[in-house]
Amino acid sequence: MTENNVTTPIIDPACYAAATAAIRAEALRLLEAGEVTAVVGYRAGRRAGTAMPEVAVTAETAAQLIFSPGCQNNLALFLSKAKRDALPKGKVAIVVKGCDLRALAGLIGESQLKREEVHVIGVACPGVYGAPADTSKPLSVESIARKCRECKVHLPEGVDLVAGTLPPLPDLSPLEAEELARLEAMTPQQRWAFWTEQFSRCIRCLACRQVCPFCFCTQCLCDRNRPQAVDTSPRPAGNTAWHIVRAMHLAGRCSGCAECERVCPMDIPLNLLNRKMAKELFELYGFEVEMQPQEQTPLTSYRDNDDQSFIK
Amino acid sequence: MHAEKQHHDFEPKLVAFVCTWCTYAGADLAGTSRMHYPSNVRVVKFPCTGRIDPVFILRAFQKGADGVLVSGCHPGDCHYMAGNFHARRRFAAFRQLLDFVGVDLNRLQFSWVSAAEGGKWVDVVSELTERVRELGPMREFRELDAEEHWSAQLNEPELKEAYHTI
Repeated sequence: MTENNVTTPIIDPACYAAATAAIRAEALRLLEAGEVTAVVGYRAGRRAGTAMPEVAVTAETAAQLIFSPGCQNNLALFLSKAKRDALPKGKVAIVVKGCDLRALAGLIGESQLKREEVHVIGVACPGVYGAPADTSKPLSVESIARKCRECKVHLPEGVDLVAGTLPPLPDLSPLEAEELARLEAMTPQQRWAFWTEQFSRCIRCLACRQVCPFCFCTQCLCDRNRPQAVDTSPRPAGNTAWHIVRAMHLAGRCSGCAECERVCPMDIPLNLLNRKMAKELFELYGFEVEMQPQEQTPLTSYRDNDDQSFIK
Repeated sequence: MHAEKQHHDFEPKLVAFVCTWCTYAGADLAGTSRMHYPSNVRVVKFPCTGRIDPVFILRAFQKGADGVLVSGCHPGDCHYMAGNFHARRRFAAFRQLLDFVGVDLNRLQFSWVSAAEGGKWVDVVSELTERVRELGPMREFRELDAEEHWSAQLNEPELKEAYHTI
């Protein structure tokens, strides 16, 4: 453990370079062979250490693809039916981390795309930066994302190519699980106070919805009036309802990529809600989101003998 | 014989979301059998418990319900074969979410009441009414709703104070 020395690099930077080389070689090969029309990946951002999504269609752009700790975006977002039009027609290749792969598998499971329509380049991902991180320095205990501290999907499975290899990983404390346990130990009144405070800051920019691969409804329930289900103005009542509805609609589907939490300008710990739902569904129905497409999610299926101890 | 009507300081408002095939018919049976149950409950009829979106429950609380009852057919009796099985999973997850956000689950009751169980309907409603009566009014959601709502009165002390500080 190097928890005290917070700026020490915790992961060998060479592994990111190896993944970058593997992604570039594969992207060039695919584009030159005409196997895909585009490669959805990352390129370096303007500021040092950052990265941004890139749709590579030529050899020149493919040579700019990278993988670095700044590659936070979940690119599976671009593959839902609603957003697929932004990409060239035909088969595309996509660069995914383990958590993004779960989202991609979820989209395939929900018939948003077919497995054979996409060439999946998985990355052996040791971790990426969290939201407020100094991206000019290598990944440290301080700057690593909270989701990466307890990641179980460093190595993608069932992909067409795994780029890079996993370096030895540091042993980090699971901050998010600890926070979840802390909240669960509170009384309902304390939890209500906690969440009311969090939700009262929400400005309803809906970035969490925009960035979520699973929020692909063409008309969101929360935007509708007549009848209006959720108040649309950024006031406490509507905010609370919005976040409850969002967590409910993601239950059993959320891949845990924590993009909602990363993009939230008000730093609301949204992934706690997602994780809570995932935990409950595992405890109730033994369901876990996986890297392979699954036919059914727990809330779209049932068993005759499901628990009904709460029903009179 | 009518039981003597008791007077209480607080009469809770309950909203019951029921399915039309079982619980609504059960409540109807209770009525036609001249059974007595608290008039605190407002029944909203749905085709099936599978049609009851969790957002309805939220909205009921926000608009002033002190307790919510969701009731439908027993498992296996659904008119649409599997609506209540799906509802069972959905509500199992939803009540855990509400609990995590800090809502008192004693205000939310789920039940299976068939068309023949007029007596069970009376029991369920009476019990929930008494329980919510003891808990008192549901303040949490109503406070949220009232927050940052301006009364539109120009002589509000709050507004005056804000005016003077500018």
